Parts: sequence; structure tokens; C-alpha cells
Amino acid sequence: MNLDFSQIVPYIPFILEGIGATLKFVSISIVMGFVLGTLLALCKITKLPFLKGFAVFYTSMFRGTPLILQLMIIYFAVPQLTGYDITAFLSAVLAFGLNSAAYISEIIRGGIQAVDRGQTEAAEALGVPYKPMMLNIILPQAFKNILPAMMNEFITLTKESALVSTIGYLDLMRRAQVVGSDIYRSFEPLIFVALIYWVMVYLLTVAGSLVERRLRQSD
Amino acid sequence: MIKADKITKVFGKNTVLEEISTTVHQGEVVTVIGPSGSGKSTFLRCLNLLEVPTSGEIFMNNNEITSSKVNKLEIRKNIGMVFQHFHLFPHMTVLENVIYAPQKVKGLDKSTAVESAKKLLAKVGLTDKEDSYPNHLSGGQKQRVAIARALAMEPEIMLFDEPTSALDPEMVKEVLDVIKDLAKTGITMVIVTHEMNFAKEVADRVLFLDQGKLVEEGKPTDFFQNPQSSRAKDFLDKVL
Repeated sequence: MNLDFSQIVPYIPFILEGIGATLKFVSISIVMGFVLGTLLALCKITKLPFLKGFAVFYTSMFRGTPLILQLMIIYFAVPQLTGYDITAFLSAVLAFGLNSAAYISEIIRGGIQAVDRGQTEAAEALGVPYKPMMLNIILPQAFKNILPAMMNEFITLTKESALVSTIGYLDLMRRAQVVGSDIYRSFEPLIFVALIYWVMVYLLTVAGSLVERRLRQSD
Repeated sequence: MIKADKITKVFGKNTVLEEISTTVHQGEVVTVIGPSGSGKSTFLRCLNLLEVPTSGEIFMNNNEITSSKVNKLEIRKNIGMVFQHFHLFPHMTVLENVIYAPQKVKGLDKSTAVESAKKLLAKVGLTDKEDSYPNHLSGGQKQRVAIARALAMEPEIMLFDEPTSALDPEMVKEVLDVIKDLAKTGITMVIVTHEMNFAKEVADRVLFLDQGKLVEEGKPTDFFQNPQSSRAKDFLDKVL
């Protein structure tokens, strides 16, 4: 046993800054995935064949290829085509947001379809147009049912975010590697960020249960 | 006034309604009875276009509403509907259920909507429940909220699709009483029901459907005491 946590002490501020770096792109990706995923889910349940086809194809592409490959394509391959020098941050947001939208759309589609058909009929019978019907009646009920699955997706996204270390984005994971190569020790920095990831996910879980409890008010 | 002219509804290979024609006049209360699967509910759902007839036309105040040019939502603003299984919005309180459509669809401001919702809830005897959620109410209470919710749009016509069929027996009366009171106010109503005594008592006219056809119609006293068709006789023998 050759452990010396005191060696990473000078690097702690450097590592902690990684929390912000990780949270920044993860939170934007979550919002993006959520909004896009909702729209894709609505496309999947329409009767319009073009929109439906697009949404199904989109999901199939993003679920059918590795996330790290999508990240690489956006960061390394797209600039080659377009000449636009994309930042690591933007690549990360795009890859994770677009990818997560595919998964979220499936969760939301299931949630919408699980809402009693009578709810749509009741709204239609009252003359409620499609948009307010979805926003005020169907989606709130769907979200309540899918919240656990949604939390799972957010947790996965938070952890998988470590993949951005491969394109040089200075997130938590990357910082642990930098410190490791600086002090020729891997165990201490890696264990330290492992703990940070675990705490972040734990807090996310707590937040999820709070929201869930609030939504169960009407039961 | 709502008029059905030879409406037919086909689901796949099943002809559920076959050339049904009838006119419900303003202020008239019509009850629709018949065995299960006779097409009563489908007929009712055609009237507010929840089901679009395969052929035939429906006119409301002499305007054809089955034409593809017509905006269904506009039509439905004037036709209230009460469902067998209530279909209240479970994530909204009783009061929110009632004011939702007047606010969103008619564009009433909140205080006006709340004021008339409270009057309606008083009318159906649920003043003390306005802040409850539907899941905390009994079946009879839910159905009375559903009636208030439909009335809040101030429709010309009310449709009732077996409003007491999903209720425990002891709650049937409270709902029927509300509907009877409503009948006295002169609003046009079409009621699909299995409650024969109620159908007789409340109706100006009874329609008897069997196997998708309008077999017989008439005044309740005539129909119940002296049905003309053998199918209506058979049916009444079984249920009365």
C-alpha cells in the first residue's frame, strides 16, 4: 500500500473547478435533450408520416452508434467538412444534447401513450386546441409517470459526461488525469473525482425525489 | 337544434351505425336506450364529432358540421359532453377542472371564470370540494364535477354517455337528480342510459337502438307501455 492523499491537496482547487465545467455542459445538454426529446416524441405520435419518419430515423441513428463516436464526429470530423473550428464545449453540448434527445423522446413517447385516452377526448370535447391540450393536460400527466425513467437518463448523462475528457475538455475526469500525470499517481485523484461524481448523482437523486413528491400531490 | 341525416359509422368490417336519422329540437331531452353494442355511444360521439361518421351528415342549427371545412373545436365549444368514466383532469383541483376550458378556450379572465365555476359547483352540490383533487372524490362527486365542467362552457347542447354506468348503486341517484334539475332548465340534452325509470321520467322522446339501427322512437309513455317493434318488446321485457 502506497497511498498519499496529501499529494493531491495543492491540486484540489484545480479539480473542484472541474465540477463547474462538467455541470455547465451537462445542464445545458439536459435542457437541450429535454426540449428536443419532447418535440421528437410529439413527432412520433403524430399521423404525419414525414415527421414521424424523421423522428424514428433520428432516434435510430443516435441510439445505434456509440456516443463517443458521435462526439468525435462533431469535434474532429465536422470542422474538416465545414472549416468551422468548433470548441470542445460546443461539441460536448451538441453531442450529449442530441444523443440524450433520442433517449428522452422514447421515454416521453411512452409516457404520453400511457395517459388515458379519455383525457384527450375530454379536452377535445371541451374544444381545447392541440397545443394547450398537450401542454396543460397530457404532458403534465405523462411527466409524472416518467419521472423515474427521466432521472435515470439525467444520471446516465452526468456520468457519461466523462467521455468529453477524450476531446480535451477540462471536465472533472480530464482534470483527474492531468493531476495523475503531474504527480505520477493515479489512485488518489481518480478516487477523489469518483467521490465527487457520486455526490453529484446523489444530489440529483434527492432533487428527483423532491420533484416526484410534489407531483404526487394530487394522488 | 341538432339533426342527424342517415349517419353511418363503420369500424373496419363492422357497421356500428346504419343510416340513423333524427332531429333533436331546441330544449328537447332525448334518451337513447338499447342493448350493449347497439351503437348508442357511437351515435352520441358522432354528434360532437369525437367519431366522424363514415357517411351521412349532421347539422347543427342548419349548418352542416360533418363538412371537412368545419373546425371541430368550434363546434364542440357549443356541445358539452359527460363521459361514463368522468375523465376529469387528475392533476387539477375541482375548481381548476371547471375553469380550465372557459379560460383557455373562451378566453375568460380568471375571476369571471372562477365566479361562474363556483355557481356551477354550488348547483351540483360540491361547494366544499372546490380545492380537492379528483382522486379524493367519490364516483358520484366526480361525475357531478364533470357535469359542472361541461356546463362551464355554456353549451347549447349537453351529451351524456352512460353517466351513471360506472357508479356504485348508492351514488346513481345524486347524479340523476342533477341531470333532472338540468333538464328543467330547458337545455337541449341527449342522454345514453341504462336507467330505464330515469329514461322514462326525464325524456321528451326515447330512441331505441339495436344492432346499429334506430328501431323505434317515441314519447316515453307510449314507448315504455306500448312498444311497437318486437325487438323493443324483447329488450323491455328483459330490463324492466
